[in-house]
Amino acid sequence: MDNSICQVYEDEIQSLEEEIKLLAEKYEDNQQESTFFSDEEILMSIKSFQREFQGQSKGHESPSDLKAQLESLETDLSFLMKFTGIQFTSHSKKTVEKTTNRTVQKHRLSGNCHSLSFQLEFQLLEMQNKENVSAVITDLSIIMESGEDSDVSKFVSSTEEQGNLLTFFRSLSSYAEWYEHRRCTFLHFK
Amino acid sequence: GVFAHLEMLEARAHEAAVKQEETEQQEEKLARLKARVQELRLQRDELRAKVDLQQKGQLGKEGVLSDPAQPSARAVLEWKIKSVKAMLQVFYLTGISGKLTKRGVCFCISTAYEGTYLDSYHLDLLTKAEVQIHRHSVPIFIPLEQIAKKYLQTDIRRFLSVLSDHLNAYAGRRYQADQLQDRFSDRIEGTLQRNSLCNLLVFNYNVSSKSKTFPFNVRLLYGDLCCSLPTEVTVSCTPDAPASLAETAAAHSDLFRRVALHKAFRSFSSAEESVD
Repeated sequence: MDNSICQVYEDEIQSLEEEIKLLAEKYEDNQQESTFFSDEEILMSIKSFQREFQGQSKGHESPSDLKAQLESLETDLSFLMKFTGIQFTSHSKKTVEKTTNRTVQKHRLSGNCHSLSFQLEFQLLEMQNKENVSAVITDLSIIMESGEDSDVSKFVSSTEEQGNLLTFFRSLSSYAEWYEHRRCTFLHFK
Repeated sequence: GVFAHLEMLEARAHEAAVKQEETEQQEEKLARLKARVQELRLQRDELRAKVDLQQKGQLGKEGVLSDPAQPSARAVLEWKIKSVKAMLQVFYLTGISGKLTKRGVCFCISTAYEGTYLDSYHLDLLTKAEVQIHRHSVPIFIPLEQIAKKYLQTDIRRFLSVLSDHLNAYAGRRYQADQLQDRFSDRIEGTLQRNSLCNLLVFNYNVSSKSKTFPFNVRLLYGDLCCSLPTEVTVSCTPDAPASLAETAAAHSDLFRRVALHKAFRSFSSAEESVD
């Protein structure tokens, strides 16, 4: 009889630990997603962090570690934007649902590809199954600046319908390059 | 007599002592577990309250929430790091992402079918001298060397774009075949035969006409490796099938050429439901 009581306690301990983990993540996500710091604030923080840290070594990462990490990430990001031609100007996300196996986030993304600008909203559902994480896009909404062009609007609406985010970016990339090439050619002959 | 009796008493005492210890250990364990449960419950309740407060604060104001306590410089930096990481993750969704390495770049090509992301493939490129593929996870049946020979040295972007076309088309074909096997297994007779590149599919499926079922045989050839729709479709029925079915076979053949495989089957099911 004692063993079953033990089991009950152990089950509750496991479920509490899971709940605590999810709550902690929810708190972190909320903090992250509802805050915004400008580039100046970031620079100021780097400076003040380096000042106040002098000499201490806590076991936390030092300011130079964090600064190096940030620089490496920003270098990767600017390389990708330059290489692909896709410049993101703003990105925000909100975690709408989070359980042990399932996360749903709402994303808002704007940017441009060469001279074509876009604004996107979508929901990203990530599910953990045995071997990997699956990702599915739903509720995709696309606003493009050159939306009056009938070809573009047809493309946009079929892409939205199928949630085809990947195809959107790949096509955008090649369309933008072609558009840019055409524009340059046109200017050349002007 | 006496010895035996003494031994017996000793044994009994020993047994009792062992039992006593077991009971005490059990009680200790229960007490520990109970204490742990209380501790965790308290922690959980505190966290819940913290999260509720956080959300109430957000309901009050739109947009930017500033922490009542000024965030530390470290917190600001950590925020920025997470924020840049999130944006790098978005690049994954665009189909081409990567990171710089000491000797070049490691690219990641992601594939998707409509809104569902499928496998991703990595290429570790060395760019110091001429561009070289150091390592990659591209499957062997994708003509990587051919594509590299054509574009890698002159236009890396084009190389990745063409490779991405191949990989996405392959992923799309495989996805359709998988969906067919998973969702419409009841209509497939026998096994669905496919090659690793998933550009040749052969299978039999059932078509019902006037409450009788007839097997159709399909051969789908995807001649364009950058396309996830077939270029050649052959649908045939058995010689004893009624003549009207030839029309159905032709209609299906046409459908398979235009519509994704699993979607075509979805439309068969709903068409048949409406006829019956």
